[in-house]
Amino acid sequence: MSRLSEDEKIQPHWWRKSLIGFFMGLSFAYALVAIFAWFGPGGIDVPMKVQFNMWIISLIWLSIMCFIFMFRTALTAFKALLIANLIAYTLFLTLRWTL
Amino acid sequence: MKIRADVIRTYQKVHTWTGIISGLFLFIGFYAGSLTMFKPAIEQWAVPKVQIVAQTPIDQIDQLVVKATTEFEKAKQGFIIEFNENASSMKWYEAGGGRGLRLDDELVHASFNENQQVETQQATKNELGTLIDQLHRTAGIPGSVGHEDLGVLVLGIAAGLYFLALISGVIFLLPTFVKSLFALRKNKGSSRFWLDSHNLVGVMSLPFHIIIAWTAVVFAFHDPFYAGLSVVYGDKPLFERGERSEHIYQLNELPKIEHYINTVKTIAPDHTLKSLDFSGLDTQSPSVAIELQTQTQMMRGGYSDIIFMNPFTMKISYSSVLNEQSSAYAPIVKTFFGLHFGNYAGDLGRWIYFIMGLMGAFLFYSGNLLWLEKRRIKQPQQHKSSKVMAALTVGVCFGSILGVVATLVATKWLYLFTQVINASYLYIYYCIFIFAIIISFVKGAAFSAIHLQRLIAYSCAAIPFTSLLLSQNSDAIEFTPSNMTLNLVASLFAIFFYLAAKKTKQRALTGDKNSVWALDNKFKEKQAEYIAVK
Repeated sequence: MSRLSEDEKIQPHWWRKSLIGFFMGLSFAYALVAIFAWFGPGGIDVPMKVQFNMWIISLIWLSIMCFIFMFRTALTAFKALLIANLIAYTLFLTLRWTL
Repeated sequence: MKIRADVIRTYQKVHTWTGIISGLFLFIGFYAGSLTMFKPAIEQWAVPKVQIVAQTPIDQIDQLVVKATTEFEKAKQGFIIEFNENASSMKWYEAGGGRGLRLDDELVHASFNENQQVETQQATKNELGTLIDQLHRTAGIPGSVGHEDLGVLVLGIAAGLYFLALISGVIFLLPTFVKSLFALRKNKGSSRFWLDSHNLVGVMSLPFHIIIAWTAVVFAFHDPFYAGLSVVYGDKPLFERGERSEHIYQLNELPKIEHYINTVKTIAPDHTLKSLDFSGLDTQSPSVAIELQTQTQMMRGGYSDIIFMNPFTMKISYSSVLNEQSSAYAPIVKTFFGLHFGNYAGDLGRWIYFIMGLMGAFLFYSGNLLWLEKRRIKQPQQHKSSKVMAALTVGVCFGSILGVVATLVATKWLYLFTQVINASYLYIYYCIFIFAIIISFVKGAAFSAIHLQRLIAYSCAAIPFTSLLLSQNSDAIEFTPSNMTLNLVASLFAIFFYLAAKKTKQRALTGDKNSVWALDNKFKEKQAEYIAVK
């Protein structure tokens, strides 16, 4: 395996990556759970589903916090989560106002 | 498995930082959590027999209820019926009651005497079991934010960091995973041994740890998570509101106890009834909380499932017992709780959780030691941060354990003098905890580690001795099988900490003299003496 140049290696960017994971990861987790809550099995009215939804938010969020440091730079992390958020929220809002 | 070197380096850093920040909080959370596995046994140990009045036969309980509720004002508002042979059949709160921890709740225990008259005994409710549970949930951090304990939030954050520490630990362990997982290298120096056992324990109990970390985050932050979720739900309410009834029922309209027993049998045939807790009987929203137990299924609470219903109409407002009408989500959510509480496999399951919890505490302690080893430098003066961390690790970990063991020893002795001892538990715990931290900073980690471990050993040994000495005084003590186990476990811990203290001393005298674990120059003569004797 050829050695990676300095630019190709993961840049630390600890604070920026942590903050991106914290805020954008949380909003992404809510987006996924929102889609699941309204359009997942059982729909919005099934009893106990609200508790399940609440539990799952933190699982998605924590997983994102774990893997946010895999991004090479804070900027790539930001772009990736921005796109993920945009897709998830667009999907949710579209479904919510069309169905 | 090949992983890029920069990924490994990154996650090594994540692991170190998340671990070092959260480790000490989690240490207390874990070992105290282990103890809560046997909360009933600890309560039984702590509460003297004099506080429990004679049992009333089931067929007389209705009469007892009628008489007690006519004679006593507080019993009119609510009372508790227990179906456990080690508890008083009927009791009510003279002061306090309801949710939350208070140290001055007054319970009245009631039963019939030979002449069918209500005989009562009032006592301050013993909170030792609850206080240990509180220590588990808050790491002993006092104060509250809104209606949540500050300590719970701090531990929630620590649990989140711990989740990161777990995943990052696995990531950077992966390349050498198979090769070094089962290698427990004792001959390559103590740091190698600590590292190998840290990795082995971490990987072997990984699923347990991931569950505990995640559930602890949810337990701490469910309110903000729900608040966010209510935005997602829009106009849909998250939970149904409990309805208030139009009129206030009279106590003589209350169904007989047998009616509740039969109702429970039909709703929850696999459960046994533990207690009925009636409250608000003189208000528009009366309620009975029915506590149920099962040995073989997940339960929603630590020790029980619960059903809330209107005691007059028997209309259920909440039930954690699953039935055919439950949605598919109900058992899943219940599983999350059960997996944290370890309540699904009887006593065997609790012992396993007890051991896993202690292994978790070991994980954080050894993690801190590894950090210290890594920063050790080959010169007499170690980094200030190393000294501080070593003193904190020793003071917090051993100080907390010593504090809890001391309260366990003290409880029976205190009852010889007074019935009001809940506050004493707090004084004893915090005095010892703070004293241990001060001693660790003043005298250094090596000195305090040796002596605190010895003190823990002596305190643990004092538990069986207390049992022996006070068994003569039949009022203060009641021997039951569960107390025997407690004595046995305390004896084992006494031996363990005695040997650990010995090991620590050996290292302090013969190990690397630049380490934070070495005793300083004053002890050099002693060292010569020690080696000569050997």
